[in-house]
Amino acid sequence: MSTPHSERASGLEVLGRLLPFVYAAIFIVAVWLAVVAIFKPHESLLPQPWAVARHLGELIASGELFRHIGASLTRVLSAWCLAAVIAIPLGLAMGRIPRFEHLVDPVVELIRPISPLAWIPLAILWFGIGEFGKIFVVLVGTFFPTLISTVAGVKRIDPVLIHAGQVLGCNDRTSLFHKVVLPAALPNIITGLRISFGTGWAAIIAAELVAARSGLGYLISNGMEILRADKVLVGMVVIGVLGVAFDALFRFIHRRISWGAV
Amino acid sequence: MGAAGSAIAVHGIAKVFRTEGGETVEALRPTTLEVGAGEFVSLVGPSGCGKSTLLNILAGLLAPSAGEALVDGKPISGPDIDRGMVFQSYALFPWLDVLGNVEFGLERKGVARAERRAIALDYLRSVGLKDFAAKQAHELSGGMKQRVAIARAFATDPSIILMDEPFGALDALTRRALQKQLLAIWQEHRKTVVFVTHSVPEAIALSDRIVIMTARPGEIKSIRAVDLAHPRDSTTDSFRDYERAIYADLDAELVKSFALEGQLAD
Repeated sequence: MSTPHSERASGLEVLGRLLPFVYAAIFIVAVWLAVVAIFKPHESLLPQPWAVARHLGELIASGELFRHIGASLTRVLSAWCLAAVIAIPLGLAMGRIPRFEHLVDPVVELIRPISPLAWIPLAILWFGIGEFGKIFVVLVGTFFPTLISTVAGVKRIDPVLIHAGQVLGCNDRTSLFHKVVLPAALPNIITGLRISFGTGWAAIIAAELVAARSGLGYLISNGMEILRADKVLVGMVVIGVLGVAFDALFRFIHRRISWGAV
Repeated sequence: MGAAGSAIAVHGIAKVFRTEGGETVEALRPTTLEVGAGEFVSLVGPSGCGKSTLLNILAGLLAPSAGEALVDGKPISGPDIDRGMVFQSYALFPWLDVLGNVEFGLERKGVARAERRAIALDYLRSVGLKDFAAKQAHELSGGMKQRVAIARAFATDPSIILMDEPFGALDALTRRALQKQLLAIWQEHRKTVVFVTHSVPEAIALSDRIVIMTARPGEIKSIRAVDLAHPRDSTTDSFRDYERAIYADLDAELVKSFALEGQLAD
């Protein structure tokens, strides 16, 4: 609905949507404080929340945090775009051509259950610890959600929309595809891109834990090696906050594009 | 071959479906029907009488198993923008606004942007939705959606308009209003209309001729011309007489088809 009333309320709505996260953060900090108070762990194992916040401030001030975020994001974005470029056309073809789907689907189903993390050793063997190894792992993680949502998006198109397109002058496959199939499948494709960004974000951290000299995953594993739990926790907090932020961004794009269907 | 003046000529059209189990279902027995240019013909009958099958064959969305369907003397080879269609479920493109939906076919026909905008707005005006041109489909009620779909079908200026239970999902009052609106547009543009409906009063209110069909297998039972002047008042005796006669044709068939369903259930 786009009544003036709801537009005026949108500022409050944003606040309303953020509020649960504020509560969640307060809850997590409270539990954290309680654990520290009860078990009194050593600083290097579990520091106070304030210590972590202080270190976060230091990493921001020195610019080191942004270097790590930049490294992780660059890897995820390149792999995610690469996955989209391959998976979306493949998914569209699978959704439209049943014989092609019968051919490709078993291959997809066999490889899909293998976690992208299980590909990390092979990625290191094949590509070393260079950039492409990590991009490869994220590619595996982002490819399948994008593909599956695209196939589902095409197959779920109401046949009556196809018929409407045909009787309104889309006589050939090409025009029908451009004018009806693609726009009708788009919301599902966007959903796939949103989900795959999430899986890619999880996969890059794992890949960087194992084989990297930069990135948020490296920040965490490095913190462990030098017994700095505050570093580890800063990395974890930033991963969480960025994950939520990107998901919100994609939801926003999705709402704009899915014509009130969602 | 199609006689002069007949827009649609159907000769021995039949449709047999094969179920997944390999059984064959006779959806439509060999059927012959001619529809004159500018004529409004309704297909009435119980579910499974093949009326929608026949309509889809005329649209070119379904190939007949036997027989020949001609439009202006030429065999139907597939969907064509010269045969517009209105669907029960509206089938508006949700990614386009109202104007975009009505312009869709015009754009496919290659009509220039400014001209198609003018034409689309004109048809939206005739269904009373000019002020809703910028709305999205999901913001409209069912009745409004169907008015957009009607405007969309008429806008490309097809010679034939096929309507598949277009008002079937609407409440009685909306339905009445849309029937009137459809009649007005039809009288203005004089398209050949083939109209599928479950509703006998609706068929009488709108049609020049009513084709009464029977179920399992689907075939034409009788054809009745409606010789009443528009606007037709459903409370008059002559209207009631048509109703009585058509229900009599249908009731015999319904008894038969219920008996058949009873057998199937046993």
